[in-house]
Amino acid sequence: MPETARIAAALPWSTAWTIARRDLSARFRGLRLLLVCLFLGVGAIAAIGTLTGSIEQALGSRGQAILGGDIGVNVWQRSLTPQESAAVHALGRVTDGIRLQAIVTNGDATAPVALKAVDRQWPLYSRLELKDGRKVGAPPPGEAWLSEGTLARLGARVGDTVAIGGMPVRVGGVIARDAEQLSEGFALGDTAIVGLDMPRRAGLTALGAMYRTKLRVALTPGLDPQATVDRLQARFPDAGLEYRTRDKAAPGTNKFVERMGQFLVLVGLAALVIAGIGIGGGVASYLEARRASIATLKVLGATSTDIARIYLLQIAAAALAGSLAGLVAGVLVTPLLAQALGALLPVSVGLLVSPTALASAAVYGLLVALVFAAPPLLRARDYPAMAVLRARVAPLKVARKALALPVLGGLAGILALTLVQSSQPKMTLGFLGGAAAMLALLALVGWGIRRLAARLPRPANPLLRSGLANLHRPGAQTGALVTALGFGLSAFVLIAAVETSLDANIRRTVPQRAPAYFVLDVPRDRADDFRRTVAATVPAAKVRLIPNLRGRILAYGPANAMTRVADLKTVPDGAWALQGERGLTYSDTVPEGNTLVAGRWWPQGYTGEPLVSVDQDFAKAIGLNVGDRLTISLLGVERSARVASLRRIDWDSLGFNFVLVFSPNTLRDAPHNLAATIDLPGKANAPTLLPRLVRAFPSSSVIETGSLLRDARDLLAQMSTAILAAASVAVIAGLAVLTGAIAAARASRTYDTVILRILGASRAQVLLLQLAEYTLIAAVLAVVSLAIGSGLSWLVIDRLFGFTWLPDWPRVLAVLAAGLLLVLVVALAGSLPLLRTKPAQALREL
Amino acid sequence: MANSLSSGMGSAHMGRVTATPLAPRSPLPDTTAAIVAEDLRLTLGQGSAAVEILRGIGLQVPQGQRLALLGPSGSGKSSLMAILSGLERATSGRLQVAGADFAGMNEDGLARARRGRIGVVLQAFHLLPTMTALENVTTPMELAGMAAPRARAEAELTAVGLGHRMTHYPAQLSGGEQQRVAIARAIAPRPVLIFADEPTGNLDAATGRTIVDLLFDRQAETGATLLIITHDASLAQRCERVVTMADGEIVSDTLTTVKASDTLA
Repeated sequence: MPETARIAAALPWSTAWTIARRDLSARFRGLRLLLVCLFLGVGAIAAIGTLTGSIEQALGSRGQAILGGDIGVNVWQRSLTPQESAAVHALGRVTDGIRLQAIVTNGDATAPVALKAVDRQWPLYSRLELKDGRKVGAPPPGEAWLSEGTLARLGARVGDTVAIGGMPVRVGGVIARDAEQLSEGFALGDTAIVGLDMPRRAGLTALGAMYRTKLRVALTPGLDPQATVDRLQARFPDAGLEYRTRDKAAPGTNKFVERMGQFLVLVGLAALVIAGIGIGGGVASYLEARRASIATLKVLGATSTDIARIYLLQIAAAALAGSLAGLVAGVLVTPLLAQALGALLPVSVGLLVSPTALASAAVYGLLVALVFAAPPLLRARDYPAMAVLRARVAPLKVARKALALPVLGGLAGILALTLVQSSQPKMTLGFLGGAAAMLALLALVGWGIRRLAARLPRPANPLLRSGLANLHRPGAQTGALVTALGFGLSAFVLIAAVETSLDANIRRTVPQRAPAYFVLDVPRDRADDFRRTVAATVPAAKVRLIPNLRGRILAYGPANAMTRVADLKTVPDGAWALQGERGLTYSDTVPEGNTLVAGRWWPQGYTGEPLVSVDQDFAKAIGLNVGDRLTISLLGVERSARVASLRRIDWDSLGFNFVLVFSPNTLRDAPHNLAATIDLPGKANAPTLLPRLVRAFPSSSVIETGSLLRDARDLLAQMSTAILAAASVAVIAGLAVLTGAIAAARASRTYDTVILRILGASRAQVLLLQLAEYTLIAAVLAVVSLAIGSGLSWLVIDRLFGFTWLPDWPRVLAVLAAGLLLVLVVALAGSLPLLRTKPAQALREL
Repeated sequence: MANSLSSGMGSAHMGRVTATPLAPRSPLPDTTAAIVAEDLRLTLGQGSAAVEILRGIGLQVPQGQRLALLGPSGSGKSSLMAILSGLERATSGRLQVAGADFAGMNEDGLARARRGRIGVVLQAFHLLPTMTALENVTTPMELAGMAAPRARAEAELTAVGLGHRMTHYPAQLSGGEQQRVAIARAIAPRPVLIFADEPTGNLDAATGRTIVDLLFDRQAETGATLLIITHDASLAQRCERVVTMADGEIVSDTLTTVKASDTLA
């Protein structure tokens, strides 16, 4: 008996690797489609993750400079009380400041600015950079630092005198970069920096004005920011003070970056799934070409498990190489991406290696490879040894049970990884569900087209006939191509249609519905004066003036069991109004655009128990009912009211909308100003209204809706570019699938071409034949992508956003045409080797 | 061993013995024989498309015997070899090869049973194109988990006269050289059985003779049982026993040498 050694149940992995490595071409010949697809998908996700990571890191590491201190203390419409101030000043070095919305004028030219008044201690960390290279702190008395944009709007230069809130100031310098910009929050207009006492002297901080006091503290060494804030909060629980710490200097920006990053990762993941189709096709052709080798290995004693191990190792090696290359490219491309996205990014980012982002991209890549490579691998495992003797063997079926573990396991892994990383699991699930539905729909369409092509009458034109036949011939990849290319192209159409619809809404619909001007801080005693000033310029203008106060909700619920907001560990979904200070108003009548849905409105001139009307969505989120009580803090004073009614707000009305509207007797005595909206009749142009209002009401801020909309459109265009860039990876992955399909069909195409050439076809005719086939596919793709993409865009715009669906068709079609042209060019370029085939030589080799 | 072919055997002539197939359903008589087959049948396809390839083959092959399988194309000899070497499973019948019961095994079981015990040489060589000559010979020993596969492969390639071509890929070797590699690959694990399916079919006459000499030499040195399919009568004459098939059945079973007759009663 010869030495048979141990007859192991399965080949040890080390031996399997020895055999796998021998059989694997050093240049991954045959597995390049897998390599390219993973490179693209993993590269896209790695680039997005790295970019998001580097922005988050920049925000985190520069928290002190962004906040302008270790902790920040803000309060609306007042200064700190002596006790509060003493407590804050005991913590370290302090800089005091004020922020408010204001108007700068230079003659008739006006510009809204976010006015930032700072004391001599400012800034505690770093210095302000001016365009002329100076590094400075607060401007000297009577001077202001303005932005280049503001100066351009005013037509002013350094040294000129302009007016802020009616008070003359000299332009002392141009702001180059304010490190604190990100922590300042939303503001209309660029920052203008002045000395601390300027707003007070200009009368901008009169009682009731909408300003914010902002203190920044450089803590005495040894004090922990969060612990310090906790102590302050415990000492002044109901003072309405808002706190920031240096590690959460710009929470809004952080959240935006995180959400945008997650969304782009999802788009990248969708691209990776498309790449997965290429991976499946690539692995299938690779293993098909290795049928003989697999059968020979079986003759030599390899079991199906051994075969699975050997080829799994080969595929894993190629997948690893593709993923690694993708990771490297993802990191290297980040600075370029950052440059391309430019103004959309809150901070400038450098080259960064974020291990979590890279690990997650690699895991995504390998899981997608597993899901798509498993079916062909399991099929190859069962190639019989007999194949060495018999050319034809019965077609192999893969046991569904065997497929369940790798495919379902891989899909579950992808889902788990995505959900773990997501801060909005519902949105993520929705996106994944939508993408899966779109893929399923495309697969169905691809199958249908194949069936239809087989049943259509044969065209008389031989080229068209042959092109049509290629759509349904055995082994035709029509289904895979429609799915892979259709997904990317549909995404192109979807993005273009959504973007142009949103843009059209902002450009056309919103201006028709939104007021022409918003005005803040109209003094209460000058309401009639304000109406008169507007009427004198545009008699038909519609002015709406409402009281505008700020306060925070302290407690809510049934009178005997009220919930204190300070005790809440987490804020319920949809209860955003519980956070920080919110706009409050009072009114004798139900506000315009609001509908009462529960309870009753108080009568005109009501003087009884203080009452409040609450937005029904907010009431639902916190479980508030008519009859319950609500306590607010207004300028540090507690006020309580009974919930008299619930309202439905039509947010589309684009005017001032308040979650809480009180009965006038509840708030009227509190110091406050008015806010106003001005609607101009038709498309009236009133160039003199703005300067006249600014002159008459220097302490008020007049904001043109038009400039707001311009900013919104710019932001939209930039975001859509970012999303389009991520989606273009899906199109490139689709092109890789196309290239793979062409390569896989090369042998049979060569045969066709040779036969046609022997029968007398010219090269031009062969080229036309290819063109006819791919034009047919492109035409099908055009219809499918247009239908799916625009259908989905209608869902997003009409159903999700509630806007009017207004795609810019020439632009949408241009985007689609560009994508299709790319498909045709790649397809024809891939077919060129066929034209060079010499019939005699090919016949010898076939 | 002497009785291994006696059951159901026909008359024995001087130097030339005609054997008839084993009677169906008899107990497997000799578990030490290299091959004991009983009533092997192979049907491909189903229903009206079913084709009966083998119709009740009975065959015993003692260890160390050289057996030539002759027959016209389509007679079923390749299918018989595929079943005997475990490449295909019979539709019915009993089969014991190198002490293992093949009839009860699935495809993977058969692969394991082949490891190190059965060597196969095919007409089209079937070398692994992505591996060098040395790697081709090493692979079956690695699959069988044998010790020092590389040293053994080098020794075997040297023995077949390819010591200087070890790192060449199949595409860089001539047909004759490729078949030498295939022989080295089949013999290196020291199998008890070697199957060769028309090993000279793709070679010119002179190269074919050299290859056969080599195959017989290596077989004689290792003492393995050799079953060779051939159309070449002169090659068959060099075997101790010639089995002829036609239409899925064994039609003659002849001993050709004194040595062979020694193994028969």
